[in-house]
Amino acid sequence: MNRTTESYIEIINLSKSFGSHKVLDNINLTVNRGEVVAIIGPSGSGKSTLLRCLNFLTRSESGEIKFQNRSWSLNSEGKRYKGKKYEKSLSELRSEVGMVFQNFNVFPHKTAVQNVELGLIKVRKMTKNSAREIAIKKLEQVGLGDKINQYPDKLSGGQKQRVAIARALALEPRVMLFDEVTSSLDPELVGGILEEIRRLANTGITMLVVTHEMGFAFQVAHRIVFMDSGKIVEVGTPDEIRNSQEPRTRAFLSAIL
Amino acid sequence: MGNSKSFFEFEAVVSSWDILLKGFAVAMFAATLATALAIILGLVVALMRLSTVAIYRWIAFAFTQFFRGVPLYVLLVWVYFGLAIAVNINLSAILAGVVTLALLNAGYLSETFRSGILAIDSGQIEAGLALGLSKQVVFKEIVLPQAFRIVIPPMGNQYVDAIKDSAILSIIGVPELMRESQQLANLYYQPFEFYTCAGLLYLIAVVLVSRGTNKLEKRFYTHSAQN
Repeated sequence: MNRTTESYIEIINLSKSFGSHKVLDNINLTVNRGEVVAIIGPSGSGKSTLLRCLNFLTRSESGEIKFQNRSWSLNSEGKRYKGKKYEKSLSELRSEVGMVFQNFNVFPHKTAVQNVELGLIKVRKMTKNSAREIAIKKLEQVGLGDKINQYPDKLSGGQKQRVAIARALALEPRVMLFDEVTSSLDPELVGGILEEIRRLANTGITMLVVTHEMGFAFQVAHRIVFMDSGKIVEVGTPDEIRNSQEPRTRAFLSAIL
Repeated sequence: MGNSKSFFEFEAVVSSWDILLKGFAVAMFAATLATALAIILGLVVALMRLSTVAIYRWIAFAFTQFFRGVPLYVLLVWVYFGLAIAVNINLSAILAGVVTLALLNAGYLSETFRSGILAIDSGQIEAGLALGLSKQVVFKEIVLPQAFRIVIPPMGNQYVDAIKDSAILSIIGVPELMRESQQLANLYYQPFEFYTCAGLLYLIAVVLVSRGTNKLEKRFYTHSAQN
């Protein structure tokens, strides 16, 4: 594993409310390049919201997110970015940060290969031919070499999620965000998807994984973030978290493991 | 009745067949062109309605309310006579008819399109944005094709409505099916025969359009169940 100590993503004092409900309450977290971070915690603890703030699908109302020391929240005068130009610039960030969703969100009107090549053509500005070549290669990597021309309605949940993973990976992002990607899958399909993520973790890409699969989290992650009620309760290596003395962490883990 | 002929004598209808068909062609031309224009205009209005710019939303809202709210009859009189009197724009009868039908149907279609667009799961949009696609590309590549499938049936309905509504263009003298039927009915004193025949022609057109939209829907439906 090519983990480094170079801080890659910095989350500083991040807060987010939906109405009067504080979903994220002053979150601080630094992720190093090549690090695999698993975010665990009870439902509604803000794990997914935190992940979605990282590619700005959800906007935090205060705090800051930096990638490689570049702030994507505040300008040089410390004011919050806003406006059309900023919205456009977010595309640049998002093309470097791949995301896979719980509900797959594959495009139903496009075949597997069309799903994967869309970003290559429209974001990376590749020709149709070279985009297709890469898209096929990526689908082969996730074991869908024989399904490239299938529409999603002919694919199982696991296969759809593989398409979604291939679609995100095709752009060769520097960071991958996995948002409970096995939660909508039939039990027998979970293992295969976790295997894909595990393989990816070994390639040295920076990853944040929100998951309820504790065994997987403790095996694959370098560090584990335990969240509860919008706050980070504890961050540590799998061993540290496993042996945590923090009562909330212990309560959560003993309920789950 | 002072007339010895019985009900449903179709000799006159048969001998005037070419006139009726010409009228039918005019009706179909007006309805088709109007629907095509209404689709473009309706989409623009729907997008304005969904815009983040308040003034666009207001204009779109007013447009929809107005053209859905005013009866076709009144609208037609305004466009044909009103524009000529008020601002000296003299449209030919057929053009006034097409414009009126287009405006009216755009009012309805704008709402159809808006609901079709809003029906697309937000996860689809997020997945597109997460790839780094611009909002415009997300709309064109992901939202619009899926929304199109949803609005095919109501769009077909709107076309059917436009075909039948085109009968009202007879009041400003557009030589469409209804107008020609009226004149032939008066000429031969056979309203029943001519209007029945006109009704059948409308019916045939409507059945054909329905079959067409069904086919279109099937073609697009095959692979579009969301996830």
